[in-house]
Parts: sequence; C-alpha cells; structure tokens
Amino acid sequence: MDRLALVCEDIAKYASRLKKVSLLADYFRGLSDEDLLLAVQFLSSGPVLEGPANHTLFAVEEKIKLSIGGSLLRDALQTATGWDPKILGICYSEVGDSGETTGLLLRGISAGEPLSLQEANAIYQQLFRTRLTARKRELLVGAFRRYRPLTIKYFVKIITRGLRIGLMEKMVEEAVAAACGTTPAAIRDANNRLGDLAFVALAARRGELESIEAQLFHPMEFMLAKPLERVEDLPSPPDWIVEDKYDGIRSQAHFDSGQVRIFSRGMEEVTNAFPEVVEAFTKVGGSGLIDGELLAYRDGRALNFNVLQQRIARKQVRATLIAEIPVVFVGYDVLYHNGELLLHRPFEERRRILEETFRPLPMPLLLSPQHTIATHDDLEELFLAARARGNEGLLLKRRGSIYEPGKRSGAWHKLKRPYGTLDVVITAAEQGNGRRATVFSDYTFAVRSGQGFVNIGKAYSGLTDTEIKQLTKLLRSASTDKFGRVMLVRPEIVLEVAFDGVQKSSRHKSGYALRFPRILRWRPDKRPEDCDDIAQVEALYKASLQ
Amino acid sequence: MEIQFREEGIFLPEIGLWLDNITGCAATWISHGHSDHARGCHGKAIGTSTTLRFYRMRLSVGDNEEEPEMIPLDFGQSMDWNGARLTPFPASHILGAAQLLVEWQGERLVYTGDVKLRQPLCGETTESIPCDRLIIESTFGLPIYKLLSRDEAIERIVRFARGCLEENTTPAFIGYGLGRGQEIVHVLCQAGIPTAVHGAIAKFIPVYQDHGYAFPGWEPYQAKSISGKALVVVPTHGSALEASGKNVRIAYVSGWAALDNARTRANAEELIPYSDHADFDELLSLVAQSGARHIDVVHGYTVPFATILQSQGYSAAAPQRTSARTNIEAEG
Repeated sequence: MDRLALVCEDIAKYASRLKKVSLLADYFRGLSDEDLLLAVQFLSSGPVLEGPANHTLFAVEEKIKLSIGGSLLRDALQTATGWDPKILGICYSEVGDSGETTGLLLRGISAGEPLSLQEANAIYQQLFRTRLTARKRELLVGAFRRYRPLTIKYFVKIITRGLRIGLMEKMVEEAVAAACGTTPAAIRDANNRLGDLAFVALAARRGELESIEAQLFHPMEFMLAKPLERVEDLPSPPDWIVEDKYDGIRSQAHFDSGQVRIFSRGMEEVTNAFPEVVEAFTKVGGSGLIDGELLAYRDGRALNFNVLQQRIARKQVRATLIAEIPVVFVGYDVLYHNGELLLHRPFEERRRILEETFRPLPMPLLLSPQHTIATHDDLEELFLAARARGNEGLLLKRRGSIYEPGKRSGAWHKLKRPYGTLDVVITAAEQGNGRRATVFSDYTFAVRSGQGFVNIGKAYSGLTDTEIKQLTKLLRSASTDKFGRVMLVRPEIVLEVAFDGVQKSSRHKSGYALRFPRILRWRPDKRPEDCDDIAQVEALYKASLQ
Repeated sequence: MEIQFREEGIFLPEIGLWLDNITGCAATWISHGHSDHARGCHGKAIGTSTTLRFYRMRLSVGDNEEEPEMIPLDFGQSMDWNGARLTPFPASHILGAAQLLVEWQGERLVYTGDVKLRQPLCGETTESIPCDRLIIESTFGLPIYKLLSRDEAIERIVRFARGCLEENTTPAFIGYGLGRGQEIVHVLCQAGIPTAVHGAIAKFIPVYQDHGYAFPGWEPYQAKSISGKALVVVPTHGSALEASGKNVRIAYVSGWAALDNARTRANAEELIPYSDHADFDELLSLVAQSGARHIDVVHGYTVPFATILQSQGYSAAAPQRTSARTNIEAEG
C-alpha cells in the first residue's frame, strides 16, 4: 500500500496518458498475484467485501461496495488529530479532498509504520463487517495513528472513490493489459463478460482470459448515445434504425431460470421496486441480459417520469401502488443469451434474438417499436410523432453496429430537445471539488417572485473553465456572506438553463425543482429583472401533468 | 501602546508611525521590498538599506508629489522616533526583510511583517525577539501547511532540473519576481546548471550580488534558445511556456504547492512546497518564543489562526478581516 501511494503520487504529476499507463504497468508487473488482485481492485472498483471461503476465481459473488460517509471520516480525523471541527472544516475546504486533508494533518502524528496491500485489505474487511459506527471510527482512528500519512491519503481516497490523479478506469485496463502481456481490447472484453477487472487481471497474467465465461447478475455498463443537435446533422439517413427515446429509467434485466435482477444506470439495483416486471421475467425461458427502459405506462402510452419516480423510492411495493402506477419494461437490445455474449453481433441480429425471446410475451414486457427512414424529413416526422406520444425524442442506431458498453461512440445518436429553458439568476455559489476546488463552479439559481427571487435549482455543468474563472471573480465581488464552501451572492448574474421536466419539491423555496438542469449559457446581456417568473414555472408544471 | 488596524496599514498614533502603509503617508516603516508592502509615496520611509533599494526601484513619484526621505535602519542599529526606540531584526523572508521592535514607555511591540523562522535560501536567519505584544502574519496559518526546509528545497530543485536535462527536456521553475526567483537561480547556478532567467527576475539579481550571493553562468531568458538550460520565470509566463510545446516541464516552487490543487492552478508537474513565509509550525514557534501577552494576526488565515492560538491559551485576535483567498493571490 505504501508503494501504491507513491505510484499514485507519481501518476498525478504527468498529464500524458501514456506515461500514467506505463508507470502503473511497471508497478503491476512487480506485484505478486495476491497483491495484483488487490491493487487493481482498489484502483478500479474500491474495496470489495470478500466472499465466503469457497470463493473461486470465476464464480464471483456480487460485489458489495464499502460505504463510509464523509462525516465519519471527519470524526475519525478529529479524534486522531485533536483539531477543532471548525478548523478541520476550513482545512477540508482549502484542500478540497478528504484523503489529502487527512494525509496532510496526520504528518507528525502517525507512527509511520509500513502498510501492505494485504493489511490494508484486512482493515477494509473489518470496516465492512462491523455495523457499529463507533467501532468503524475506532478502526479508522487506529489506522490514521499507525501508518504513513501519504499511505493514509490513498487509503481514504480509495474509500471515497475519488483518487483525483487523472487516472481513468480505461487507463487501469490498459496498464493491466501492458503488465500482463495482452491487448486492452482483450482485457475490456473479458471485463464485460466478468465485471471484475481484478480477476480479469489475474486471469490475464495466467494466460486464462479465454476461459472467462460470461457472467450474469453483475451490472454491465450501458452503451450511450451521442446527442444530435439538428435533424440535418444525421449522415446518410437510410443507414439508421429509429426508436422512440423514452422518459423512464434505463435498465438492464438479468434472468436465468427463475432468478431475476434489474440494474438501473448508475449500477443501482432496482429489482425490489418492480415486482410485476420481475415476475414476468421469471417466465422467460433460458437466460439473458436485456437492455431496456422501465416506464410508467397506461392505456398504451408512457406516463411522465414524475409518476414513475414514486415507485423507485419504495422499498416495499404494495399491490395498490402497482395498480395505481402500472409499469412496463420496454426491451430494446439483448447482450447475452443462453450462455453467449452477443456484444459483437450486429445490431439487427441482436434485435432478431430479442424478438424471438420477447415476442410471445404478455404485458408488462414490451418490444421497442422500430422505424426505418429514407430522408431527414422522415426523421423530423418521426420526432414529432414521438413527442406527440409523450416520449422524449428519438434514438438512432446505426445498422450493423456492435454493442459498446460504457461508450458514446456515435453508433447511437439521441435526438431530443429540452423540455424547456429558463433565464435564472445566481443566488449562491459553491466551490467545486478536485480540479475545481479553487473556483466557484456549483450554482444555486432562482426565478423572480413578486419583488424578490425564489430558488428553484442547482447546476454545475455547461460552462467552460474560462467562464467559471470569470464568474468566480464576479461572484466573489457580489458575495454577501460565506458559510464554509458556500457563498451567498447578490442576485446579479443571469444564466440560461435547460431542463427535462418540472417537479413539485420542498427542497427549494419556489416549491418546484427542475429535472436535469444544465447551464446552456451565461447571459451577461440580461439583467436580473429580465429573469423568468415563478408563474412560468407553474405553467410548465401544469402542462407536464396533461 | 495604541494600535490601529486600518485598510491602508497599521498605525501607531502615539508616535505617529505607520507600519507598511501602502497608500502614501507622512512616515512609515517598510518591512520588505515586495510590491504589496513597499508602495505608495511617503514623506519618510524607514527600512533596511536593502528594502529601501527595492522600494526606490518600484517608486513612481507623481507630478505633485515630493521624493520621499529615505531613512535607512539596518540590523545592529537602533533609532529614536518621537519618544520611541526602533530596532530592526532579520525576518528571513526576502533579502533585506525585517521585523521591527518598537519600545515605548516600557512596552515592547514587535511587528513581524512577512516572516519565516527557518534559514532562507538567501538572507539572514530570523531572530526571535521577546516582546509584550506581537503583530504576526498567517499566510500559511493552517495545520495543513508544512513546508520544506532550505536543504530539502535545494535538493528537490536541483534533482528536478538534472532529471529533466538528462531526459533532454527543459525544466522551468515558476518563482515570484522578487525573492523566490533569485533564490532558485542562485541554487541552480551554484549547482553548475546553466540557467536562463526571465527579465522580471533578472533585474533584481545585482542587489543579491551586492550582498555576496553568486550567480555563476546565468543568462537572460530568450524564447528561441532554451534547450539544455533550466528556466526560471514568473508565474504569468508559465502558461506561455506550456503552450510553446517545446518539451518544457514545469516545477512550481511555492508554499501553495503544499496542496495537490496547486498542480492544475500552476499547470505544474513538480510541486516543491517551499516558501519565504513561515509554515504553520514555524508560526506557532514564533509566537511561543516571543513570550507576548497578546498576539494580533494580520494576514492570511487570520481568524482560524487566532482561534487556534486562543485554544492553546494565548490572548489572540484577528483585528483585520481579510479573506484567505484574497491573500492567496497576494503571496510574494
């Protein structure tokens, strides 16, 4: 673990991707099998709860991630260092990273003993196994006092799942490939089958990659669609197959002889929220992995996302709720079928297998309807029809394309237009994290209400680094008060935000919240009195219930 | 003794003396030659000879203004001033930087100016001055800041430069115009590394030479011929170098380099956390060694540092509220 920390510090220095990968590959090469397993796991997925004793190489159990919150880490640091929480708060805010702050403050305090990867894993396992917060804190404090501060910096970063050294998962894959004498494509492929890069690395080193069989019941990354700005931007319309883009929850259903699990995007398991869908999949023959969308659905029509959301929150779903908010699963791709991974089969062939699997099935399993187009006008017409059906827009899939998990390769495009846009004014700003720790990059914004403004949302994406720097300067000069990382500002700066829906919410003073708000542009040409009014928001909300 | 903490500086009304007045006044003590301290057109300017030399280099006298009267006060000397006795002591910040002891009616007041405790790369080592009241800075007044010693800094600077040159790349050090810049050049030249120096830094080299610091083999920086040399440039020039695409690798030598987020801010590969300001532990030592019965904290993390001092049993205050961020931009 001490070596791992030093290697990470080195990786952080270089902007070059090649250099980062080669440093990491050199490190991997020198590790024993047991250490390679842990090092790859720590850098890719974080600590994992060890399975029972009969855990074998290819029978990987579900991975439970270690969840330890910021406040517990802070408590432990306070106990280990004796610093007042207020002083700690300022330190965290200046540094912008929990692990780094911990490492910095432990200098001169910890005993500086060496820590091996195996010993680090033993501490993580103890943290997994205890449910008592007090015991967790005790374990953390013990580690903080004992080991080298630089090692603890990364020990904590691995828990918080943010290394902030410019190392992406793909680079870890590349380093594993380089260290184990194989290609990144072979590693990625095996990882898609198994869903566990650490075991893939070990298999690669032993030359056993081929023997990794596809495993169900671990979430696989979803293939993503590139946004298409305008209908005319689509090259060669006849090459594309068109489906509706639904306003639901992108999900993948894994099933095998009566066993069913459903994962949503973000790799969350949502199986328990949708018993009627699970029930339907238990009746599907064979085994499979279907990519699709969960939708609230009534009378042949998808309902607004707001309606579906009420189902997600519940742990136990009662029959009355199922009747009140019926849900369907619209399948649009199949990635695995009866022991075979289908990612490299052309899209049309996967679709044929999906139809064979799905066609004879009753509700709530549906097949996503497909259309072909000859011209851009056809596309425009389909787009309007999809919107008329209450869907978000269209998805376009290139004929003959393979399924590329986690990629936005351009083989899929999405065509949608925002539900609406609003001109809003910034009322508060927060410092970002990591690269953005020294600028104010997260903005709370408001619309007009009477003589004043009421907050309606928060957004942090959509501006360039240069714009954020400029805004930071302006915001500092408009600051009226500061609480830790958050600064209240006079309502002066106007942004145009786009969003995908309006919901009722008690989080903001306006009583509404926006779905997926993103900043379209900074509007220095507008004054706060030019902002949109709360009445506009109310109207948009009412329209969404129609 | 009454002390007034004002925007334009610190004022001692009973003896009619300002400390680091920055807007122009009848009479001020100038602690050191950085532009955020040695500025404004004053009636009388008191400082060490070196500080006054820097002040004169920066001074622009307006049409309706008179040339200030320069009153040198060097280490080992004292002077009387309106019934008080003024004595300077080394502050180890930049060349010529001084703390000021003011003795008045049996009370001893020390104003540190910008200060550090450890031996600097160039300049005299700080002396600790027993006093009743201490006015101290806190640029790095949080426990996250622990900085390198002089020897560690020299080792890191030379190692980075040699490593880059061996790989046929060009090391570029970012240092401030006065102080850090000349110190880095001095270290590189002493190690026998050919060094090209940006004009904003080079213009102060003669002052350092006059104090006996050698700069064998330095040359003025020219964008056209940089290979095989170490470069020392001011922060504003760092991004120009990076954009030049000439295999330039940047090292950032600053107290702010103690945090990883300095890397993106300075576009630097190597972070060398060395400063002409005291780090947190040095500040605590300075306070402890002074024996002061009250401490005022005037720059940097004033409120948190005063709070920390209070929690350790000192009588301390942060009379001048400036935000930490404002001071980050003002270092050096």
